[in-house]
Amino acid sequence: MATIVEITEPKALEVKDFEFTYAKADAPSIKKLSMPIARHNITALIGPSGCGKTTLLRSFNRIHDLYPGNKYEGEIIFKDRNILTPKEDLIKLRIQIGMIFQKPTAFPMSIFDNVAYGMRLQGIKNKTELQGRVEKALQDAAIWGEVKDRLKHDANGLSGGQQQRLCIARAIAVEPEVLLFDEPTSALDPISTGGIEELIVELRERVSIIIVTHNMQQAARVSDYTGFMYLGELVELGRTEEIFVTPRERLTEEYITGKFG
Amino acid sequence: MTHTQKRILINDIVMALSTLSAIIGIGFLLWILGVLVTNGLEALSTTIFTAEGAPPGNSEGGLKHALIGQLILVSYAALFGVPLGILAGTYLSEYGLKSKMAETIRDISDIMMSAPSIVIGAFVYAMIPIILRTTDDMLQLVPSTLREAAFALGAPKYKVIIQVVYRGAKAGILTGVLLGVARVAGETAPLLFTSFNDNFLNTNMNEPMASLTVTIYNYATSPYEDWQQLGWAAAFILSMFILTLNIIGRLFLLKRKGR
Amino acid sequence: MNNIVDKIFANSTKFIAFGVLLLVAWIFAVLFEHSLESIKAFGFSFIADDKWAPNLEKFGALPAIYGSVVSTFLAMILAVPVAIGIAIFLSEIAHAKLKTPVGISIELLAAIPSVIYGMWGLFYFVPIIRDTFGGVGISMLTAGIVLSIMILPFMAAVTRDAMNTTPDILKESAYALGGTKWDVIKDIIIPYAKAGIIGSFILALGRAIGETMAVTFVMGNVHKISTDLRDPATSIPVTLANEFAEADSELYYSSLFELSLLLLIISFTIISIAKFYFLRRKRVGA
Repeated sequence: MATIVEITEPKALEVKDFEFTYAKADAPSIKKLSMPIARHNITALIGPSGCGKTTLLRSFNRIHDLYPGNKYEGEIIFKDRNILTPKEDLIKLRIQIGMIFQKPTAFPMSIFDNVAYGMRLQGIKNKTELQGRVEKALQDAAIWGEVKDRLKHDANGLSGGQQQRLCIARAIAVEPEVLLFDEPTSALDPISTGGIEELIVELRERVSIIIVTHNMQQAARVSDYTGFMYLGELVELGRTEEIFVTPRERLTEEYITGKFG
Repeated sequence: MTHTQKRILINDIVMALSTLSAIIGIGFLLWILGVLVTNGLEALSTTIFTAEGAPPGNSEGGLKHALIGQLILVSYAALFGVPLGILAGTYLSEYGLKSKMAETIRDISDIMMSAPSIVIGAFVYAMIPIILRTTDDMLQLVPSTLREAAFALGAPKYKVIIQVVYRGAKAGILTGVLLGVARVAGETAPLLFTSFNDNFLNTNMNEPMASLTVTIYNYATSPYEDWQQLGWAAAFILSMFILTLNIIGRLFLLKRKGR
Repeated sequence: MNNIVDKIFANSTKFIAFGVLLLVAWIFAVLFEHSLESIKAFGFSFIADDKWAPNLEKFGALPAIYGSVVSTFLAMILAVPVAIGIAIFLSEIAHAKLKTPVGISIELLAAIPSVIYGMWGLFYFVPIIRDTFGGVGISMLTAGIVLSIMILPFMAAVTRDAMNTTPDILKESAYALGGTKWDVIKDIIIPYAKAGIIGSFILALGRAIGETMAVTFVMGNVHKISTDLRDPATSIPVTLANEFAEADSELYYSSLFELSLLLLIISFTIISIAKFYFLRRKRVGA
């Protein structure tokens, strides 16, 4: 049984007895996991390789569904519904829950078209509206100044750090409620990393954030809550200051002090 | 209809059309193979292999000369093409590497592979580019650490290549040879020019030689039914030979990838 | 001793490799040499003249060129959408278990010798064209369709391979914004793989123009330009295949050689464009 601290804020998501089995696997990768995600907060998921943190993250927007054969059990409650049911409208879900990936994934199109992509998918065609929202998203991603004169240029001309900000702008342009970050700075240099971390903290005002990271210091710097996972189970979830200073589980302490992973 | 609903509809239509395309593709394959097999099997009999070509109307006709002729031609082509192709490919991978000259040779070779066979003519020349490229690619796949280890033991370059690199790329080179032979065995066009002797065929075979492919062409386009039958039998034999080589070659490649 | 063997080995391989280049140059030279008589006799009108009359010793290549262009064009129009469809099916729709057998089947289609396509075309497809569209059955239309079936496997396979090079993470990013499969294919995969796809189409075009056997069975070798696709026609390879054995004069031979030279130059050019503009080769291994 995981040690989970009481969450005072309302919940953005709630995971209940969640189990996940990959297509060809004999055993589930995530076992009977329950955990709350606080709204307008940053929850970090940490743990050694293979603990299931990325698997869990990718279940929130059901991106696993792209690959046939995976099995979900249990519930993930979002806006009063279980999003794991077959009836769930995945397109709508993915607009409400966005994702940023480990490597910057700028689409092969202009900077403007990248940011506008999600909105265009929804059918927004009005030029003024698009321009306005693209500008706002790029400002919120703290990159407007750098790109405002080259919006029509190919996005691949941007540096790694800039591209990741672009991806963030692209994700927030559709005004999601939750943002999932899958090791967003693992491919970036330390300076860009710092910038992205600052950005994530600012975004907390608007969206609820879940971030998977290999880097414990990053989790400590950035998050409000931290969940430690091991071998497919949640070991402990608590306020970040407590987890890193006075963890309640021995396993957590061993991981944090570098005894393994 | 909302924009998203429209998107989903278009998506479903495109997916359906794509599946339809695949069905069309497979459909043609099955049709052509089916036709080949039914007609070919029907026309096949043991005398085909033993009887010699006969005038139409004589149901005793066979493909002996054509089959032997084809085997000779293909073997001859392989005899020249395989070693030349392998050696040229070896040069590219082990000596020329990425030099401008080597890249030019690779490029020209690629172009040759796709150029019209009727013009590039003879057999022999067609095989060289294919084997050259596969040898080049397969040899490059052998990790350089293997070569370095051999050199570090004091081996001269030619021994490194022959004893270490060739051995490592064995399966791949063999596949290349099989596929090259398969491709050349199916060639007809260059052989239509039996009067085109010295410049293109460049062989000592001054006798017109029956080949399976030209025989197929002549017999199939003739107005005689027993010749047409033989044409199907010949087509069937040729295709089975080629498809078998292809399948064996692919199995080799798959085994290699599996490692 | 080892040094000598090393030198011999190195030089022999080098010699042979360079020999490939010489070979190509030699082929061009031979073709050119044999075309001289025809070039001298007709000059530019060889390409512009539409009368091909061996008995009159007049050789105009226009019908053959026309036939090559039209049949290839027709083949491309038919093959491109189907090839893209098959590629989409193989890379995005098919179940893992289906991918391999269907993929291999498509590749086997490519291995079937063209003589077989020709036979099938002549005995089975020509009657269908005849019954459906009228005419003799042996026609430009039939040639175009049979040609399209021949280039289909190659185009589908290379397009599928190009599409598969798109990184998963890029595709997932588009799905994560609510894209459908088709959205991802048209906005992400195809732009990403654009160079490879276009290159392979142009390469297929280059090959189609040189295709001989399949087309020889079903085109007819009639040196007449007609706008009715149901009429028989001829193409450069078809002319060569049919008439080389019959050529009975120096000028006739020379004209056929000039045709060969033309064909080689055209296909060489098209294939080179495909290669150098679109299909920059990726370095393999070490």
